[in-house]
Amino acid sequence: MGNSGLLQVSIDFAQSHLFFPRIIHWLLLIMLVLIAVLQGIPYYRELRAGRKSLPFTSGPFDAPRLFGTIVLTIAYFLSMSYVGDLFPNTGLGFLFMSIPYMFALSLLYLHQRNRRHLLRVTVNAFIAPVVAWYVLAKLFNITLP
Amino acid sequence: MEFLSALDPLFFFLIFAGSLIGIVFGAIPGMTATMAVAVCLPLTYALDLNHGLALLLGLYVGGISGGLVPAILLNIPGTPSSITTTFDGYPMTQRGEGERALKVGIVSSLFGGLLSAAVLFFFAPVLADVAIKFSYVEKFLIIFFALTVIASLSRNLLMGLFSGVIGVWLALIGTYDVSYGGNGDTRLMFDFMEPYLAEGFSLLPVLIGLFGVATILDEAEKGIKENTADMKLSLQKGAKFSFSVFRKQKINLLRSGFIGTFIGMLPGVGGSAASVLSYTQAKNFSRHPEKLGTGEPEGVIASEASNNGLTGGALIPLLSLGIPGDSTTAVLIGAFTLQGVQVGPLFIGENLDTWNTMMVALLTANLMMFVTMFFAIKYIARVVMVPKYILYPIIMMMCVVGAYAINYGVMFDVWTLLLFGVGGYLAAKVGIEVAPLVIGFILGGQAEVYFVKSLESFGTLTIFFTKSPIAMFLWVLIFISVGYSIYTAVKAHRQKQAGDNGK
Repeated sequence: MGNSGLLQVSIDFAQSHLFFPRIIHWLLLIMLVLIAVLQGIPYYRELRAGRKSLPFTSGPFDAPRLFGTIVLTIAYFLSMSYVGDLFPNTGLGFLFMSIPYMFALSLLYLHQRNRRHLLRVTVNAFIAPVVAWYVLAKLFNITLP
Repeated sequence: MEFLSALDPLFFFLIFAGSLIGIVFGAIPGMTATMAVAVCLPLTYALDLNHGLALLLGLYVGGISGGLVPAILLNIPGTPSSITTTFDGYPMTQRGEGERALKVGIVSSLFGGLLSAAVLFFFAPVLADVAIKFSYVEKFLIIFFALTVIASLSRNLLMGLFSGVIGVWLALIGTYDVSYGGNGDTRLMFDFMEPYLAEGFSLLPVLIGLFGVATILDEAEKGIKENTADMKLSLQKGAKFSFSVFRKQKINLLRSGFIGTFIGMLPGVGGSAASVLSYTQAKNFSRHPEKLGTGEPEGVIASEASNNGLTGGALIPLLSLGIPGDSTTAVLIGAFTLQGVQVGPLFIGENLDTWNTMMVALLTANLMMFVTMFFAIKYIARVVMVPKYILYPIIMMMCVVGAYAINYGVMFDVWTLLLFGVGGYLAAKVGIEVAPLVIGFILGGQAEVYFVKSLESFGTLTIFFTKSPIAMFLWVLIFISVGYSIYTAVKAHRQKQAGDNGK
């Protein structure tokens, strides 16, 4: 291996946890530059010429439903962990908070809010979490919040 | 023959339930087999390995097969792998031959599934025997090869590679594990994250987030359209189904099944590649290629035989090398780990009973999928009409259960779910592809250990080329894969330019 001196590598054990991540960072950086040059520039030209649009502005964009889903989900996770701490190891946080969450999410996704649909949504919001909670937490002893 | 004792009535019931739920998931546009497996995973926490596998394999086979229902009836592929089924299936429905098209698809699916199961049965142990002799150098090269293959078959070579490397990067977050010879230090994080991320992100919350939550967010952005509400099912007006359709299609069936199996073996390559490839081949070899696309059973056969061929194919690298063949088998890795089983070259030899049980489950899943769909297709066709405002909240709830229960109750895993759900949704917008990212994430940790340890023991980069004939052979494969992708990229670019000039 006398003439392969350039390819010799020695790794300091104390720093070995950074060796591979460093390579990955360089790879990511090189590819990012390549993408910017090979694809970003043509894309920018098309954008200026008005032949293409930004990724988030094409097609239908239903902001209330998208952001509603995210906000509801965050509220669901926060409240679930809070209520779950009040009744530890029972899965009740999951049960109690899933019902309003599912009800609200269904309402958000509904297009025609008439009585028949509302009834279906309500029934589903009660039955699905109760069944899931009973089967998983009670029958199968699976940990739930 | 000890594995026979594992085959109790519950085992078969779970396969049945799995394939039925899988079919429903596959049949609902936007839901995939991967999602079915991810969402139902918590159910397996309480089962033992054999029963868990029965359920999961049922879900897998059912999920891949169910996609043909909306493809044929509504012209919407239920899963990406049934895109080409719409080409001929939907015109048949328009002629009133919906039921015939469905049954042609179901029989082809069964054939593809069984063929690939047979290939799996004979090929995986052989491959595993070879792989047992691999040292860290070869193992690293195999992962490297897997990543180049994913990239070469993704829509955009550079973005595919980029997505894969991002996946690797995400996998490196956390501790450099002492049990694999690391020094136990954390990296790629700030100090305040250490209590949460010392172990890195858990695999399953990441997967459930990327495949479950991200899909729902994407649908939410499109406004949760109930696209099936005004559908009328006219299944049976024209020609009836009979097995004589297949008389002249034996070669088509075989070819498509093998294409599906082979594509399934390539890591990270989605089902759409398999069905598109076998559909084009069917067209090339057809005696009347101009008729394909106008409602020929030939096209449905090619598409469905190949996409079910994926199932056995994708399990081959999973069980012999520990590398998942597609995103669904990636979730299966999580399920194995959960049961304390390490998949890799030693898996089959050390778990012969599990391996046999798996084969029985796979075979039964295919048969049950066939029986259920063939005789109950009229009722299954109606599940595409389940309203999404009922379905999606249930799926979100199940995602939470899956993420929370995986490590016996870590709330951070639930936040991981949301983080990767939103992240996956945004990433898809800028062209990052989820499949390579997931494969990179799964293999990233091992890639690091193999790479760093090889260098620590040999001290030179040349070892990756000179270690053994197998290493050199793997380099040949890597060059073929990269060369092929550059070739297709250049060809596509030229065609595009020619097209632009022609305008």
